Amino acid sequence: MHRDLIKNKIDHKGWFKIQQWMLDKLTDTEGALIPMGAENVQKWPKAEKDYQVFLENASRLMIRFKKPEHLIKMIVNIIDEQLGITHTAVLLYKEDKNAFILIDSKGEGGTKIPVGFIRMTFENPLIKMFDERKNYVLSENGVLVSEEIAALLKNKESLEKHKDLAGLIELVLRQMDILKANMCIPLYYKKGLIGILVLGDKISKQKFTRQEIGFFMTLANDASMAIANAQLIQSLQERIEEIKELYNKEHRVFMHTAIALATAIDARDPYTHGHTERVTGYCLAAASELEGIPEALAYKNFKETLHISALLHDVGKIGIPDAILSKKTRLTKKEYVKIKEHPAIGAAILTPIKELGSVAREIRYHQERYDGKGYPEGLKGGQIPLIARIIAVCDAFDAITTNRSYRHRQMTDAAIQEIQASSGTQFDPIVVSAFLLAYEKGKILNSNKK
Amino acid sequence: MTKILVVDDEIDVCDFVRSFFEERNFQVFTALNGSEGLRIFKREKPHIVLLDVRMKEMDGIETLRKMKGVNKKAKVIMVTAIEDQDKMDTARKIGALEYITKPLVLENLESIVMSYAKEGKNA
Repeated sequence: MHRDLIKNKIDHKGWFKIQQWMLDKLTDTEGALIPMGAENVQKWPKAEKDYQVFLENASRLMIRFKKPEHLIKMIVNIIDEQLGITHTAVLLYKEDKNAFILIDSKGEGGTKIPVGFIRMTFENPLIKMFDERKNYVLSENGVLVSEEIAALLKNKESLEKHKDLAGLIELVLRQMDILKANMCIPLYYKKGLIGILVLGDKISKQKFTRQEIGFFMTLANDASMAIANAQLIQSLQERIEEIKELYNKEHRVFMHTAIALATAIDARDPYTHGHTERVTGYCLAAASELEGIPEALAYKNFKETLHISALLHDVGKIGIPDAILSKKTRLTKKEYVKIKEHPAIGAAILTPIKELGSVAREIRYHQERYDGKGYPEGLKGGQIPLIARIIAVCDAFDAITTNRSYRHRQMTDAAIQEIQASSGTQFDPIVVSAFLLAYEKGKILNSNKK
Repeated sequence: MTKILVVDDEIDVCDFVRSFFEERNFQVFTALNGSEGLRIFKREKPHIVLLDVRMKEMDGIETLRKMKGVNKKAKVIMVTAIEDQDKMDTARKIGALEYITKPLVLENLESIVMSYAKEGKNA
């Protein structure tokens, strides 16, 4: 069961479970730790092995936390529950506050530093010492132990050696006194100080052994890596959200521009008022019946390409004279030839916009027929891209059901029959059946119907 | 001995600040809410009050107003979260000496309290 827990992806909701599991694991007979300074000194070799187990378990779990705060809570918790220390706290550097903030603390009332209560800036002597790595001048391993610092201050000979540091050392000791810290361990990642692990006295009042200090150093090293890792993940996630938001915003602007352009095209032809909007609605409805098919899946973004293509399918009408566009009587052959240019003009307008490359293609072919008798190129069947085939059906349906300059409005049912009758000749049968399906579901609503 | 009253609805804060100032030879009183704080304030007449702004029921501002009603010269230092900065104008108008923003720098807390404690002794 434990193994399953590890295998499963652990999210922030799961962290508590993990922590609980770890505590269980550490308190059972296999992984139990002897609190530091336990009376039975003979047991130390066993305890050493146990610390190894502790560290292995801890570091394995640490890297699974995605939130630095949760990770720190776990570390503080297990130290507090397992190691018999008066109080434990972790301070972490917070960029937005440019200070070290106490993230979590545990321990006896009065010694425990309240969470969120204190901050330490770079002016703080303790931070200064760790940040400038002066701690390595005082101790080989960089860990500051209050008794050792106090002893150093009393020893005139060694104080002479650290003359320039004497002032700072005194302030550091005072700082540790304020925190009631027996031991302070820096958390470094790469070159920078990212936090501090603060430990009180052993409840047994004994000194920390070298072994124990080594243990905490290893724990701190592993924790630093894991914290830095979690921070990186967190900042990446925030960045992704920002980019997403930026993209969405840009995308909204783009879609509104496309809609504005479509409205402008529609406005030129009073007889087809609202045509683009209706065709776009029909297209989206029909396409929702086609979403899973391989041809649709072959598009990078089927729905969006369809949406934009439908909105802009008549953009080429900008190049057609008003006199032809709004002519109430039948068009002459020459005028009809002119009208037939609009898909190619539309494609030519959009081609220079790199992002709309696939849209230009759909617009170019939306007047092609399934049987190859359409224009501009007379493409046939599958040669015509899917979206163009969908627009063809929806465009025709709107033309039939709307009062056009050269045609009276018919009843919707008759229009549906007409579409059905042209399935396999003018229209792709698959698109027609998708269209009919959408119609039966009530998704094709002819808003122009009075 | 200088008397200091700490009013904060977080017991951890009360315990920590108590131990912090006891070590600095203060006589410390703590209260977990405004009305308890006011009671102790009347009884003990502390030299300095550390008053948390955000508390349930009677908040720090209201408590400050009442303390000032009891003793106009009461020395009250507000402890506030960054989000409550706007309340500080009100607190100053009512007569708070100073405010400290949480998370706080312990040395600041110490030096501010010490300076008013000294002042109190001279008076």
